[in-house]
Amino acid sequence: MRIAIRELLRRPGRFLPVGRALTPLVVLLIVLGGFLDGLALDSTGGFRAQGERRLWVLADVAELQLARSLVDPDTAAAVSAVEGVVEVGGLGVVTTTASPETTGELIDVAVFGYERAGARLPPPPGAGAAIVDDRLQVRSDVQVGDTIEVGPGRTPVRVTALADDVTQSAPTLWVAPETWREIAADADPGATVPPGAFQSLVVTPSDGADPDVLGGRIDAATTTTQTVDLDGLIAGQPVIAQQTAAFSGIIGVTFVVTLLVVALFFALLTLERLQLYAVLKAVGASSGDLVRGVAVQALGISIGALAAGGLAAAAIVALLPADLPVRLEPRRLAAIAAGTVVTAVIGALLTLRRILAIDPAESIG
Amino acid sequence: MPALEIRDVRKTYGSGDQTVVALDRVDLTVDDGELLMLMGPSGSGKTTLLTVVGALLRPDRGAVRVGGDVVTDLRDRDLARFRRERVGFVFQNVNLVPFLTARENLLAVRELGGGRADAGAKRRADMLLEELGLAERAGNLPAQLSGGQQQRVAIGRALMNEPALVLVDEPTSALDSVLGRQVVELLRTEVKKRGIASVVVTHDERIVDLGDRVVEIVDGSIVPPTPIDQGPRDLRGRLLDRLDSLRGRHIESS
Repeated sequence: MRIAIRELLRRPGRFLPVGRALTPLVVLLIVLGGFLDGLALDSTGGFRAQGERRLWVLADVAELQLARSLVDPDTAAAVSAVEGVVEVGGLGVVTTTASPETTGELIDVAVFGYERAGARLPPPPGAGAAIVDDRLQVRSDVQVGDTIEVGPGRTPVRVTALADDVTQSAPTLWVAPETWREIAADADPGATVPPGAFQSLVVTPSDGADPDVLGGRIDAATTTTQTVDLDGLIAGQPVIAQQTAAFSGIIGVTFVVTLLVVALFFALLTLERLQLYAVLKAVGASSGDLVRGVAVQALGISIGALAAGGLAAAAIVALLPADLPVRLEPRRLAAIAAGTVVTAVIGALLTLRRILAIDPAESIG
Repeated sequence: MPALEIRDVRKTYGSGDQTVVALDRVDLTVDDGELLMLMGPSGSGKTTLLTVVGALLRPDRGAVRVGGDVVTDLRDRDLARFRRERVGFVFQNVNLVPFLTARENLLAVRELGGGRADAGAKRRADMLLEELGLAERAGNLPAQLSGGQQQRVAIGRALMNEPALVLVDEPTSALDSVLGRQVVELLRTEVKKRGIASVVVTHDERIVDLGDRVVEIVDGSIVPPTPIDQGPRDLRGRLLDRLDSLRGRHIESS
């Protein structure tokens, strides 16, 4: 192994071609991952703003689509009575347009009516007020104290606070339930939400409660609901599933290309090193020694490509327009790094058969 | 027990009408501290014999014992360990690892098979390089060494793991006569000092007198060895006569 490490350090030029080939692949993986996470996070900020531990109760016929769900006050009361439920709050959403007084432009927004404070949300503001997605500050210079006219009826709401990372495919406004019902009725008169009803309930579980068990108890108590955790709710959104499938497919293919590039490089390198390997075997190297050396070199190359590719990707993302949904998330980056290393090592180990077949007798001239 | 014992070894290549007998019922022993010169014309089986003794090839028949190990009984996965611990090779083409320094080339054989180049190994490598006159070249890469210096590093590598047997293939082929003899003299000094058996395959009659015995191999068969030290006759002259007769036999047969 030390022999392989010394070769890597003393003959870096020999490994430069594969490093150069891997680096843009790493850039591609990181940027794709950034888009995947950006799209997913920008489509689910409203859900995540309620907190990761909370459970979501929707009508079972809605198939986890808020727009199709309706939960009445009786159901909410039944949910509140379930053992393990600490707190229940209603939540609904309507998509409409809004016009900030700062620019007068018409923007697509999602207006949430909610009852409970969340991870990134204070308690609901009073009637006629709104907590606003800070995207509107970036896009339209909306500030606290400004007025935004919402919906076809131009319902005015005053901005009382800004919230971060609450975008739900469009910038969001967070209002009291009464204000939400007024805006929803204005936006879609044919789909008025009855008083006291919401599209979903957001449940705070007791400490230590098992989410699956509690969800089962809630659904058994109501018989008309489907209860899921945050991950389940997000996974149930068709657009998220489609985006994830598409991007994951591209990312998967990119990993396969990475493996093939490394495999080809090490196949050629092994051919070049046949005599050296024969000599090493003749003086006592096992095939395992040689294979471990190859694996270590693949590891070193992939780490180098990750460093160079990571810097390049970060620079590219920084240069992208701010409204493009790209986010470099630590978990995704770690997964890409691990995936790159693993595929590089596997690619290198595809030369295993060739190495095993090297005859040490070839070292004798 | 001899350091090397070969009994009834046979090795062929090909099959049927294409069969070539490389070694034919070879018997040979080499004692501890003995330096044996193995000579013969091209295609006589010298290199094949070296390869079989060094566990790089398995014979079709017969037994090879090196020290306490019956090489021919070893499983494939044990052969690497055997080569690492019991045999030292000096190749015709030297074959140093080009990106390792002289010192690292010696330490490399200690690092194989999961081993470590600990303080003891480093001391041994430094001692060998000192004895071989390469102490000041320890940090040089092979490309920075002369042919003779590279050959000396190769000798050091062969001795690094304290083998029972050193096998040397044409040590002077790439060197001039003076340098070639110096290298073999050095080899002789080192193996004698350590009581290691050594087999040197060579065409070079100028170094034959440095061996304790000459064994001739022709067409895969050993000709009974001629002891060098046999009295007041001109040893070199006798050997040259012998080689001339061998050449004549080779010309007749070819």
